[in-house]
Amino acid sequence: MAFNYDKYLRLEKMPTLWCWGCGDGVILKSFIRAVDKLGISQDDMCVVSGIGCSGRFSSYIDFNTVHTTHGRTVAYATGIKLANPDKHVVCVAGDGDALAIGGNHTIHACRRNIDITFIIINNFIYGLTNSQTSPTTPQGMWTVTQKAGNIDPTFDACKLAIASGASFVGRETVNSPKKMEKLITQALQHKGFSFVEINSNCHINLGRKNKMASAMANLDWIDSITVSKKKYDAMTPEEQMNLLPTGVLKQDTEVREYCDMYDDIKKVHQGERAKITQDDFVKKI
Amino acid sequence: MAAMVSPENTPVWVDTARCKACDICVDACPAGVLSMQQEPTSTLGAMISVIAPEACIGCNECELSCPDFAIYVAEKKEFKFAKLTDTSKARQEAIANNGYRIPTDYK
Amino acid sequence: MATREVISTGNELSAIAAVDAGCTFFGGYPLTPSSEIMHVCSDLLPKVGGASIQMEDEIAGICCVIGAAMSGTRALTATSGPGMSLKAENLGLAQMAEVPLVCVNVMRGGPSTGLPTRVAQGDIKQASNPSHGDYRSITLCAGNLAECYTETVRAFNLADRFMQPVIVLLDETIGHMHGKAMLPTVEEVKAGIVPRKTFDGPADEYFPYECGPTEPAVLNPMFEGYRYHYTGLHHDKNGFPTEEIETCRKLIQRLEDKVMAHQDEIELNEEFMCDDLTGEEGEVLIIAYGSVSLAAKEAIRHLRADGIKAGLFRPITIWPSPANKIKEFTDKIKNVLCVELNIRQYTEEIERASSRLDIEGLYKVNGRAISPHEIVSKVKEVF
Repeated sequence: MAFNYDKYLRLEKMPTLWCWGCGDGVILKSFIRAVDKLGISQDDMCVVSGIGCSGRFSSYIDFNTVHTTHGRTVAYATGIKLANPDKHVVCVAGDGDALAIGGNHTIHACRRNIDITFIIINNFIYGLTNSQTSPTTPQGMWTVTQKAGNIDPTFDACKLAIASGASFVGRETVNSPKKMEKLITQALQHKGFSFVEINSNCHINLGRKNKMASAMANLDWIDSITVSKKKYDAMTPEEQMNLLPTGVLKQDTEVREYCDMYDDIKKVHQGERAKITQDDFVKKI
Repeated sequence: MAAMVSPENTPVWVDTARCKACDICVDACPAGVLSMQQEPTSTLGAMISVIAPEACIGCNECELSCPDFAIYVAEKKEFKFAKLTDTSKARQEAIANNGYRIPTDYK
Repeated sequence: MATREVISTGNELSAIAAVDAGCTFFGGYPLTPSSEIMHVCSDLLPKVGGASIQMEDEIAGICCVIGAAMSGTRALTATSGPGMSLKAENLGLAQMAEVPLVCVNVMRGGPSTGLPTRVAQGDIKQASNPSHGDYRSITLCAGNLAECYTETVRAFNLADRFMQPVIVLLDETIGHMHGKAMLPTVEEVKAGIVPRKTFDGPADEYFPYECGPTEPAVLNPMFEGYRYHYTGLHHDKNGFPTEEIETCRKLIQRLEDKVMAHQDEIELNEEFMCDDLTGEEGEVLIIAYGSVSLAAKEAIRHLRADGIKAGLFRPITIWPSPANKIKEFTDKIKNVLCVELNIRQYTEEIERASSRLDIEGLYKVNGRAISPHEIVSKVKEVF
């Protein structure tokens, strides 16, 4: 299928400033295909991005776009969404932006379950600023802030999102553009906070000093550390420790979305319903 | 679904203004349709080239994996794609083993 | 015309003013002594179909407000000193991207945690430059209960006129003071709303950041067919990042000039009992703002009863400072006393504007108010 991406691009900005072979472009294309498939109008969507290579995402696509300060993507997006609840709001941020400086905002956006789709492009490093350690850089890898070898432990961002209350959590890699497109489509359709982690290749920064200096070598490494959720669930904890499950990891369509609940608050203050009490919630704590 | 009309009844075509010569599409192609070639004026000194369009099977892997909107594949209904042959596979292997460039003496 | 009598606190009046001025979004975080503004907004805004949200921290508080304002709504946040410090980076983005919003700072004892429940005016210098880089702050300071309302209304109109954040300073005394205020009617306020300029031509002829050298950006609301980019990076006429030499120079110069070339639209002062100050020997000029100005006015009545011709010059717009007015007064009157609840923060601006280094000062930084008696004694001591 020859898909016309140009309709969705700010053509005067092309070619992108991303390095040759960077997964960001593949993710951008999957995102565009997902939006097109759902028939969402460019005027009805706002894309908010953070600081980092992934932050440039928003400048290439022809939507209402915002490039925020480092780590604050979902905070800006929460304001945009709450003020315009019937519009689509998508956030794109890197692993440093979303999980380090922005960790707190990520946790609370998940907790609120506000209807935003958050795409985290996890390339396991701070790419734009040249190879500093990120919360997902594997221990033992070379980074410019830990040239003796990284000692910082990592965490699983999807587990964090699930624990924080996101109602849709999924992960894919840039090795599978069609699966990425499907996951992003599902995330956009889901009403609630959709947390989508995409593992991407940064062979220029992470890869070059960690024996994967080509896009293909870095992509092969990502392939080696990811496995479908179905296979993952059948593994032992020892096997699971060094793998990240892909696919839809959580989907809860019962839990209420934040703007929806805020409508109830409006009704209370406008005298259209009684005050909200604990009886209105299944979850009591 | 937005669509791009394929030029001149072609299965796969490239936009050399956008290509950054990352090798990914050449690696992704199963049929040895693509190859990098020497191009001193471009960023990495190389540029994508469609060397065997007649062998294209229309799998779309190149387009899906290209980060730079630089390669396009015709729709199944507007072009009669080839089948994957041993010749194509062998050519692809030679290309992949030669730094993603078709060996100069390849037959 | 101030004809409506309301009994309330400064904080509540500020929140009510915001809603009357068309604000439909509040985002913030609890911080003494400003929290009441959030509490009132959380009741009033959903009532008018708006939204109010308590975010997870101060930074998220300003970010969601900037987001809402970017999408086209009038948006408010409220905080105190520590929150201003946290919000600084993102206030800078709002300056750079030219996003209108109102940020109320109910000043408390600082620095750091300071004196959370006690009054100070220690955020004056910070308000002039809360964030790094070059831009011009617009900062207003309410000097009585009614101004908590009217200055908040004015702040929203100034924010939309100049397309940037406007800081409204209250101090803890005024924020928590409970009393009578004479306010304009809601109809008058609504009739006086001047919303941001918008472009209504074809979308392909719309360049949000292409404007005259002393004009602000024209930023249409989102989702209406005009798609453009917001960023904190230097940007071109479409809002896209650029490093081009002339574009960058013009952008920053325009952020400066859009305010300074139109200071007449922003400046507001009160001259209390200054009409008969002609520059004679023995006249005293007091400069004060916020709650201190209430004590100063009382002190002036006492001084005049004691035969001393004293008057108060009270800047209501703190930044940009009324430098010309300050110079005019300080050229005329020899005895100038600056009274503030900080150490010389606005005095140094008076010195700059007047080119005088002999400005007297009365300062207090222990969280207590300055009484009229203390001002009277100081005047008699130094002049």
